Amino acid sequence: MDEWKPNPVIKPHKKRSWYLAWKYKLMNQRALRKLCQTGAVLFLLVTVIVNIKLILDTRRAAYEEEEESAQDYDDELLNVEAPRHPVSNKKVLDVEVYSSRSKVYVAVDGTTVLEDEAREQGRGIHVIVLNQATGHVMAKRVFDTYSPHEDEAMVLFLNMVARGRILIFTIKDEGSFHLKDTAKNVLKSLGSQVAPFLSWRDMWTFVGKKGGEVYGEKHAKSPALSTWGDPVLLKTEVHLTSVEDAECHWPDTELNRRRRRFCSKVEGYGSVCSCKDPTPIEFNPDPLKDNKVFDVPVAVIAGNRPNYLYRMLRSLLSAQGVNPQMIMVFIDGYYEEPMDVVELFGLSGIQHTPISIKNARVSQHYKASLTATFNLFPDAKFAVVLEEDLDISVDFFSFLSQSIHLLEEDDSLYCISAWNDQGYEHTAEDPSLLYRVETMPGLGWVLRKSLYKDELEPKWPTPEKLWDWDMWMRMPEQRKGRECIIPDISRSYHFGIVGLNMNGYFHEAYFKKHKFNTVPNVQLKNVESLRKDAYETEIHRLLREAEVLDHSKNPCEDSFVPDAEGKVYVMFIKMEQEADFTTWTQLAKCLHIWDLDVRGNHKGLWRLFRKKNHFLVVGVPASPYSSKKPSSVTPIYMEPPAKEEGAVAVPAVAAAEQT
Amino acid sequence: MQKINKNVVLAVLTLTSLVFLLFQLYYYKFYLSQKNGAVFSKVRGSQSGQDSTRWHVVRKFLALISSHNIPVYLIDPLILGLVDKDIEQIKSSSDGPSPECKYFCAPRDFTTFALLDKTWKHEVGLFRTAEKMGFQWLKVLNKDPRLDGMDDLSGTEIPLHYIFKLASHAIHLVVFYERSGNYLWHGPLRLKQHMDRKFVPFRKLHFGRYPGAYEKPELLLVSIDDLKVQIPKNPSSFLEEMSHSRFLECRYREARAFFQLYPDDASVDAVEFRKRAKSLLHLAALTLNNLGVKFWLSSGTCLGWYRQCNVIPYSKDVDLGIFIRDYKADIIPAFQKAGLPLKHKFGKVEDSLELSFQGEDDVKLDIFFFYEEDDHIWNGGTQAKSGKKFRYLFPKFTLCWTEFVELKVQVPCETLQYVEANYGPDWKVPVKTWDWKSSPPNVQYNGVWPVDEWDDVIQIY
Repeated sequence: MDEWKPNPVIKPHKKRSWYLAWKYKLMNQRALRKLCQTGAVLFLLVTVIVNIKLILDTRRAAYEEEEESAQDYDDELLNVEAPRHPVSNKKVLDVEVYSSRSKVYVAVDGTTVLEDEAREQGRGIHVIVLNQATGHVMAKRVFDTYSPHEDEAMVLFLNMVARGRILIFTIKDEGSFHLKDTAKNVLKSLGSQVAPFLSWRDMWTFVGKKGGEVYGEKHAKSPALSTWGDPVLLKTEVHLTSVEDAECHWPDTELNRRRRRFCSKVEGYGSVCSCKDPTPIEFNPDPLKDNKVFDVPVAVIAGNRPNYLYRMLRSLLSAQGVNPQMIMVFIDGYYEEPMDVVELFGLSGIQHTPISIKNARVSQHYKASLTATFNLFPDAKFAVVLEEDLDISVDFFSFLSQSIHLLEEDDSLYCISAWNDQGYEHTAEDPSLLYRVETMPGLGWVLRKSLYKDELEPKWPTPEKLWDWDMWMRMPEQRKGRECIIPDISRSYHFGIVGLNMNGYFHEAYFKKHKFNTVPNVQLKNVESLRKDAYETEIHRLLREAEVLDHSKNPCEDSFVPDAEGKVYVMFIKMEQEADFTTWTQLAKCLHIWDLDVRGNHKGLWRLFRKKNHFLVVGVPASPYSSKKPSSVTPIYMEPPAKEEGAVAVPAVAAAEQT
Repeated sequence: MQKINKNVVLAVLTLTSLVFLLFQLYYYKFYLSQKNGAVFSKVRGSQSGQDSTRWHVVRKFLALISSHNIPVYLIDPLILGLVDKDIEQIKSSSDGPSPECKYFCAPRDFTTFALLDKTWKHEVGLFRTAEKMGFQWLKVLNKDPRLDGMDDLSGTEIPLHYIFKLASHAIHLVVFYERSGNYLWHGPLRLKQHMDRKFVPFRKLHFGRYPGAYEKPELLLVSIDDLKVQIPKNPSSFLEEMSHSRFLECRYREARAFFQLYPDDASVDAVEFRKRAKSLLHLAALTLNNLGVKFWLSSGTCLGWYRQCNVIPYSKDVDLGIFIRDYKADIIPAFQKAGLPLKHKFGKVEDSLELSFQGEDDVKLDIFFFYEEDDHIWNGGTQAKSGKKFRYLFPKFTLCWTEFVELKVQVPCETLQYVEANYGPDWKVPVKTWDWKSSPPNVQYNGVWPVDEWDDVIQIY
């Protein structure tokens, strides 16, 4: 613009004359004038271009900023979901199955879906179920058919598998010893040629479609009793069908969508996946009137036992007064199948990265679950704690609704539990009766938030301590003399046979004969008498009323209790001090109730039923109720069997002298 | 003739050039201002929608919500700002038709509502009805922070935001969750990869840039512009709360890593101390909140939160920071009333004030007052026996909410800088011997109190 500016040195007298002079000057210099004019035009053009460019630039900048800040709203975890169905668009699956003494494996399209070479584990017939349309593994089972009854379980399982599924069988170590004809016939009906002739230490692999073609079978006979058959490797191809063929045609509802998802992923849940009349997955039990536990969260502690979880959730969701929104299932580990079960029922599931091993792992899982429960429901004053291997009584919530106010008001209470350790078929009778006990039974119980937050959580056993959480909770440091309320007839039933601390024998001996309430809407009686002081009054009343049994008889014999009904009887046993349970343990053994440690006591008193009579056992002299013992009665002492004699206790009535 | 023409041409060109210059100026002003305000949206809004569009969309949305019995309340800051001015009038006005549409007719892209998670079931029916009514909707899910903690849990993702769009207007529905510490939390709005980034101009939303923490509001049913809506009973305090509602989650993953390296002290003493420190902190928070005094976790307590999401068991006291501008003379009597006697008082309001209260069983509550300068913030320390003064410098910081020992409390948002200033770059390594006069890297010797002031600035009880 310089050319346009007047020379500042020239200072005209008047504006007018300055202008004229300037004009004159310019007009006289034609060339200069031309130059100026061109310059001006050029300059103006440049200005226009620069301006347009500026407009464009700012516009782009504004746009970019918008883009950029929208990135604040992008999820940082751009979890690129890898296609999870690598086999779904393939028509043919390559299947490899290996059977040998010490190792089995199954590979589908190069992916190992089963590999077991652990020593002294996984003996028997391994079964894998594949979806015929996607090739996904829907179930994996091993049946130790070397041992009795396992073949029955296998038949049951195979019958549950839907038609059209692909079944893969392979034997590890030994699978024929207790493989009965029924099972062999089932295998034969699936198309196996070899199954009927399977014998001791044979190796065998088989791939076939249920109710359809056979894709391959290989077998190696054991040459002698002491040796195994040669390892066999079966390689075969399986043709996939279309997805439509593999699914049932249920009406398109929200529930059936959940069902379809579930049934296309897993097998072995019976009629829930039947194409015709599948079992319902929504139960709509009657609501409870004046339900005090409707807003109490229910934490279901689960591991990787999806079939158990399925059974458990069914019973829980069928219980009257259940509120599915408050149910949280905590799965210890990132197992898919338990999560599938949870989603089938439309519940919330939470997975927990396992910490530590064995008992400590369970204990850490409990802690994480309880903490999360109270985090998710910050208003809750209580939480119901359940495990995946429990059946829940139809009146479970009704039972809690009638008793939960006690936990709120009575500081001397530690918990309310649905489980009576001593409530067996032959020792429990009255569904409306509650007890106070000094032990914590667990197996379906209510935890007070303040107890957890103020006392238990801060000092919960750390992962390196291999403690059982329930044993820890029973320790005097934690329990501090507080008691739990339990029903006479349990509102939960422990059906788990496999588990960390569980096996078939143990279950049969201690859990199978447990009494379980099936009556709905039981009206509990005398709930108020469960309060600390009222309960003492109640016990004293009972003891006053009670008839003293004949202490000369053997308490283990049935005849010890008269053939009456509805009476109250009392017996006195020897109990030198508070922790002396020698006689009680022997009595518990012969009565076939829980005898592994002391359960169900209240101040040296046990309450149970025998022959439909209320049966009280008082430990003398440790119990404060000893004063009720007539002076003529000598408390019964039973000696523990000498250790060499083995497990079965033979009760000895020692000091039953009568004066 | 020709000459004149040329001059005219020149003049015209000059004029054009000037116009361009003016335009340029205007454009700059326009561009700059839209960064601060919502000029853009105003322009767009007025282009795309009539005044009543918004009102109609809001009405439809309210109908949808009430047909499913879902209680929502209005948290739109712009409307609440207007409502707050006329709150008395709105409260007293009867249900009669209002003469003009004052609140819901200002053209905006959004209207924001809040929903308490626990008051509704996550039902699909709502969305079907919404679609039938012509709404397009978007659901933003994310991790459930209530499962975050020292245990590594993962559950189903929870809905944090919903957006219902109809015509040119969108309803932003923020889902609030109740968390332990008796407060409400809403999540950040983060779009997953497959989501439509252009569904609405997300960056203009008032909620969702950060997660936020709020007190549970009391609600009031009012009728504004002939629409019945619930609003926070006290809109101005809600708006005030909103201005500093940013929430930080504790760094649980890092805390887990820390405990891998340095296993936690599970001794009886440690458990006991943590319990006492927790109850002392709860009591202090209650007392200060009642007074309306803002405070934050400072020193060791802040380090404990940042490093291990827990009280450091060997720290022996609880440390809080308060800006001196928030100082109230009532603080000391209020603590005494709460059962915490004053242990010592160092400094004075004008300089290096520090209060210590005696909690139960030897746990001390230290309150440091912070003084703001142009480029830093500092607090003072005093050595009782020598009268020496110390000064601890911190870079400037703002305050964020967090959850600590089941309490909603504030911490410096720029926690790392704060902790590093106080404890140096090795703050990740536990140190059990710490001298407050020499160990902190940000300590400065600050002279000695004049002897004649000692009675006032060094008070020990």
